[in-house]
Amino acid sequence: MNANRIFIGVLIGLAVVIAVVALVLLDTTGKKGSGLGKEYLYDVKDLAKIDPNLILYEESAQSLSTGFTDSHGIALDSQGSIYIAGDRAIRIFAQSGNLLDEIELTDAPRCLTVADDDKIYIGITNHVEVYGQQGKRLASWDSLGERAVLTSIAVSKSDVLVADAGNRIVLRYDITGRLINRIGAKDKERNIPGFVIPSPYFDLAVSRDGLLRVVNPGLRRIEAYTFDGDLEFWWGKFSSAVEGFCGCCNPVNFAILENESFVTCEKGLIRVKIYDPEGAFVCVVAGPEQLIEGGASRVSEFGAGSQTGGFDVAVDAQGRIFILDTINNVVRIFTKVKAGQ
Amino acid sequence: MMRFDNIIIGMALSLILCGVTIGAERFPPPDFVETDHVIPSPTVPGPRQDIYEYIDAVVLLAALGLSSYLVLRRRSRRAIFVLMVFSLLYFGFWRKGCVCSVGAVQNIVLSIFDRDYTVPITVAVFFLLPLVFALFFGRVFCAAVCPLGAIQDLVLLRPISVPNWLESGLRLFAYVYLAAAVLFAATGSAFVICRYDPFVAFFRLSGNLNILIIGACLLVISVFIGRPYCRFICPYGVLLRQLSRLSKWRVTITPDECIQCRLCEDSCPFGAIKKPTTDWPTTEYSRSKKRLAILILLLPVLMFLCGWASSGLKTVTSRMHATVRLAERIYLEDTGKVEGTTDASLAFRATGKEQKELYADASNIRAEFKLGGWFFGGFVGLVIGLKLIAVSVWRKRTDYEAGRAGCLACGRCFQYCPKEHERLKKIKEARAKY
Repeated sequence: MNANRIFIGVLIGLAVVIAVVALVLLDTTGKKGSGLGKEYLYDVKDLAKIDPNLILYEESAQSLSTGFTDSHGIALDSQGSIYIAGDRAIRIFAQSGNLLDEIELTDAPRCLTVADDDKIYIGITNHVEVYGQQGKRLASWDSLGERAVLTSIAVSKSDVLVADAGNRIVLRYDITGRLINRIGAKDKERNIPGFVIPSPYFDLAVSRDGLLRVVNPGLRRIEAYTFDGDLEFWWGKFSSAVEGFCGCCNPVNFAILENESFVTCEKGLIRVKIYDPEGAFVCVVAGPEQLIEGGASRVSEFGAGSQTGGFDVAVDAQGRIFILDTINNVVRIFTKVKAGQ
Repeated sequence: MMRFDNIIIGMALSLILCGVTIGAERFPPPDFVETDHVIPSPTVPGPRQDIYEYIDAVVLLAALGLSSYLVLRRRSRRAIFVLMVFSLLYFGFWRKGCVCSVGAVQNIVLSIFDRDYTVPITVAVFFLLPLVFALFFGRVFCAAVCPLGAIQDLVLLRPISVPNWLESGLRLFAYVYLAAAVLFAATGSAFVICRYDPFVAFFRLSGNLNILIIGACLLVISVFIGRPYCRFICPYGVLLRQLSRLSKWRVTITPDECIQCRLCEDSCPFGAIKKPTTDWPTTEYSRSKKRLAILILLLPVLMFLCGWASSGLKTVTSRMHATVRLAERIYLEDTGKVEGTTDASLAFRATGKEQKELYADASNIRAEFKLGGWFFGGFVGLVIGLKLIAVSVWRKRTDYEAGRAGCLACGRCFQYCPKEHERLKKIKEARAKY
């Protein structure tokens, strides 16, 4: 009988102690986190660490302040002048950083390119405007509709290629602004998957092989199209590792070097990397440690909602890489200092 | 006028938010062209239809009425048990323990102190109906309607008695809990009764692990000690106890007259049966009289001391409020006393709101806790004082009685009374006759 009472007493005492401990340890404000192990964490900081041996570039000049509060695109002309699209203007800088000229616009530009004849093609929300070097507007093409979000322009000899992220299509115009054809619409018969664009980043460029290169960011790859819209090949793979593209939609922007290698920019996990013409990973130009103040620890603060925080990139004939930091609105110039393996 | 201003500000904020929403929609969502996946249209689950809330109120009213009938007229433990199981299934597992009368206390308090908060009619009904029934019929809500009581009652298999001194001491916690719940609800800090509801995780078959552990521990204790939550913790039980003291009709152990057989003496697992008392010993009488006089004089002092102590704890108690916690965090971050940020501090900084404004808000809330602490402590002091006074008051009792406040009207004691057996026999005979 006594043993029974002792057993009940101990049991009740134990239950009271456990309940009190559970109550004390109860996290009502969530400050202790989920309590899950490290294997469940999406730790971007770890991913942001890059082997220093892979970084073959260094910043070679003082960064250039654009003076914009919201910059979007960068382009170089044949003389090496730097064109920046931001706020409601285009600013043209010498490589020394001196402001050469400014073209005021009626609306915010998202992208631009400078043709060999020095005409400036600017994507302003849903239409293209063409300017001369003196800042005179030469043409304003028809609007592509409310849904259009123009994010990239490239000019070849007689064609202007425009990336419309809103409509998920590439538009091919002649230089007078006449629409010739549309490229990249989903077409099973032509084996075209269509562009998957979760955020307003959709870049293109024309390579020296005469093919159009277009980022398909949702598929984390760069696709090669003929100007007639045939998909020839693609490269790029999804991976959180440095060799691949990660997140919902990367790369956000790219440029093509003289040797036809690709310089890619990724958002979220902000990295600028080099791939050879076949798409094999070559090296890193700069990672979060080099590109973000505070380094890897601040990676996750940027690009809220995946809608912002994409850097743009341009290259010159000497292989220097001009990165438009859209967070600080500065241009940073990187030069190769080490030979790759 | 103030209301009108609030409406204007609200409309302006809504318009700004609409602007943000339109801005966010500027870029169309992905269309997943490569997989033919169609993005489903976002659907917002509608609120529970009003009709069900009224049904809940009607079920509550019916359950309380039936419980009163079963406890006072039918005097059937079996029927009370069946109703209790129904209530557990309906209000507990089916309605997921919400709305519950216990937590409704906080809604009522908040509506008193926050004029922008309106109590839903169902919540008001859930709060008031059991109190009204307690005023007329005793704690019939606890008997067979409250799911929290029911789940404990079901596992009561090996009841042991709790000494009176311990019972009385532990019961104090319920008063403190009630006062704390009122303080936190009045300041808009938290609904602690809901937050620490030990059984809601069982009803919902999901919940915080710690709460599940606390609930499981309470159920283990409930195997031996009858309804520990109801007796020692339930803040709503405090209100029911006081109203039940005034009840017009209440549970009686015997249907007729007490024959002092003592068979019912140990029948109540909740220690609610009061034994007959002897006359007050003369020596004890004078000593108690002095003690009573001293205690009555000391009561205001005790209330003041408890109020002063509680008010002084405002720095600690006010941390229950999210704004105070955020202000403290921002201060620590700004002065470099902590590293890193929290989601809340990041979100605050993203609003662009000034720290001064936040500190002013936190300071106001702390002042509310200072004032509230006086009431909280004063109430606790009053309860302690009255409990001490009650010890010095001799209540004469000639029969075995179900305690007016403590009786949960479970009906267990009925079958221990020989008079009850006589009554049932008579009923049986009468039925056989007709």
